[in-house]
Amino acid sequence: METLVSVRRPVRELRPGDHALLTFANDEEQRNVVGSFVRAGLAAGDKVIYLAETAHARVPGAPNPPPGRLSMVALDGFNGRSFQPRVVLDALVEEIRRAEDEGYGTIRVTADMTWAVRRPNGLELLLGSELRIEHAIAPSTSVIAICEYDRRHCSPEELGALHQAHGIVVVPDPEFEDSVLRIVRTFDPTGLALIGELDASRHMVLDGVLARLVSSINGSEIHLDLSGLGFIDLGAINMLADVAARRAGHGPLVLDRMSPQFRTVMETVGWHMLPGLRLSDDQ
Amino acid sequence: MTLEHRAFMYGELQQLLDTAVPWLREGVERDEKVVVVVRETGMNAVRDVLGPDGKDVEFYPSEVFYKHPVRTLRDYQGIVQDARPHTVRALAEPVWHGQSPRETREWARYESLINVAFEHSGARALCPYDQSVLPQEIIEHARRTHPKFARGEDTLHNDSYVHPKDFGNGCDSMIQLVRPRHAEYRTIESDDLHDIRAFVGERAVGHGLDTTVARTLVTAVNEVATNAVRHGIPPMGLWIWSDDRDLICEIGDNGFWHADPLTGFLPPESALQRGFGLWTVRLLVDLVELKAGWDGTFVRLHVRR
Repeated sequence: METLVSVRRPVRELRPGDHALLTFANDEEQRNVVGSFVRAGLAAGDKVIYLAETAHARVPGAPNPPPGRLSMVALDGFNGRSFQPRVVLDALVEEIRRAEDEGYGTIRVTADMTWAVRRPNGLELLLGSELRIEHAIAPSTSVIAICEYDRRHCSPEELGALHQAHGIVVVPDPEFEDSVLRIVRTFDPTGLALIGELDASRHMVLDGVLARLVSSINGSEIHLDLSGLGFIDLGAINMLADVAARRAGHGPLVLDRMSPQFRTVMETVGWHMLPGLRLSDDQ
Repeated sequence: MTLEHRAFMYGELQQLLDTAVPWLREGVERDEKVVVVVRETGMNAVRDVLGPDGKDVEFYPSEVFYKHPVRTLRDYQGIVQDARPHTVRALAEPVWHGQSPRETREWARYESLINVAFEHSGARALCPYDQSVLPQEIIEHARRTHPKFARGEDTLHNDSYVHPKDFGNGCDSMIQLVRPRHAEYRTIESDDLHDIRAFVGERAVGHGLDTTVARTLVTAVNEVATNAVRHGIPPMGLWIWSDDRDLICEIGDNGFWHADPLTGFLPPESALQRGFGLWTVRLLVDLVELKAGWDGTFVRLHVRR
């Protein structure tokens, strides 16, 4: 099998000519990525073309879209022909042409195509169409596309084939990023990944991101992936204990993967110093 | 439940056995958690005399148990917590040979801290001191750090006992911080300590520390430097140098931090408690020395190379 190294790119770094793949773990991840994509487009005055189940579907990131800037292509408008991926993609391409004629400098297209994989011969038909899309978009100086697929409904082989058909894999925008620390939302499991170094100068940042997350998830578990953290200070460890204590009665704060430095500190002081925090079993 | 913390002066092993073994047996009969921490030379003798009564007694050689005073306090705290609802009875003989004056001072401080750390634990500790080999200085420390003496089966009140805060102040007044001229210096500008960490990490490895020890030192330095930025008065800075034994990092600022002499010695309940930071720093490195004076507040961290 051909090995493929996909370029991973946060939503905000997508540029015209990018034909990106999103394989989402759940609705939350889909809303996060598509919402960022649509919101940024509308804010910048781009054209947004959105494939939905019905013409009345709610579009993430566009609670009140400015007239004309958001075009919906509805699957239920195809009278059964929609089950041909090619027909649907042709409709999207037509919308793109129209937007180009209207003079939009940047045109953003996004479509959840999971349904097409599940049709008889779906993957094969789909890959043919994806190839046409790839050839149409790659040289474009105006079009950015995100093709969405629900990971829960695709086999590993299907996901592998979809990766082959896209040059870029789109990932959520980081919640925070500077030269020292990056905080990335994770969706499977729900939580955050911390990459870089965390000291007192960035406690407020982490506190803010954690607070936003806590208020958005209704008390379920929060997982922290610390494997990419080169340094965590003792104040941040105190902060994690504090968050865990404040969540008493809700789902626990779970540490999934620890950096060696964090592990050394905790083994020295004793894990009982972190009441309310849980270590996942794989470590 | 108050702590019973007694020193016991002996000259021959038999004297130790005559006093300690019946006392340990009493603990076994009362269903207490009984722990014996003695030097290897005495361990087998205690074990033999206890015989079958010693089957539930935990034995640790002093040479292994007494390596780092703050860690030893942590370990005893663990034993006390694990034993609940039973109380702990410990025959506890520290190691007093082969130490620098600094280390002896810190072990004496440790004996004194026992009185505060386990004040309400109901624990009983009997601390044997071998008068035939220990220098007078150590015996003097014992008099000032134990509220009671054991003599045979009797318990005597000790008038020379000093409250741990006063004893700690005495220890701190002995601290002399002299810095060699070849110490390297970096200013600390803000709580964004990335550059300081990189500098300390690189120098630590350069001075021969392995990466885990270097990383641990960096964690400790970061905490002390963060405190200096938060509570100190500029200029803040860091010196680093090594001698024939240790790598030394000193963080200084221009403020006067009149710290409680017990600060950071007593194990906190959790990371949420005040004092978790400095206590962890004391655990992470081999020795912390703190000195505040007219010229500023200085925290010195020693790590064995």
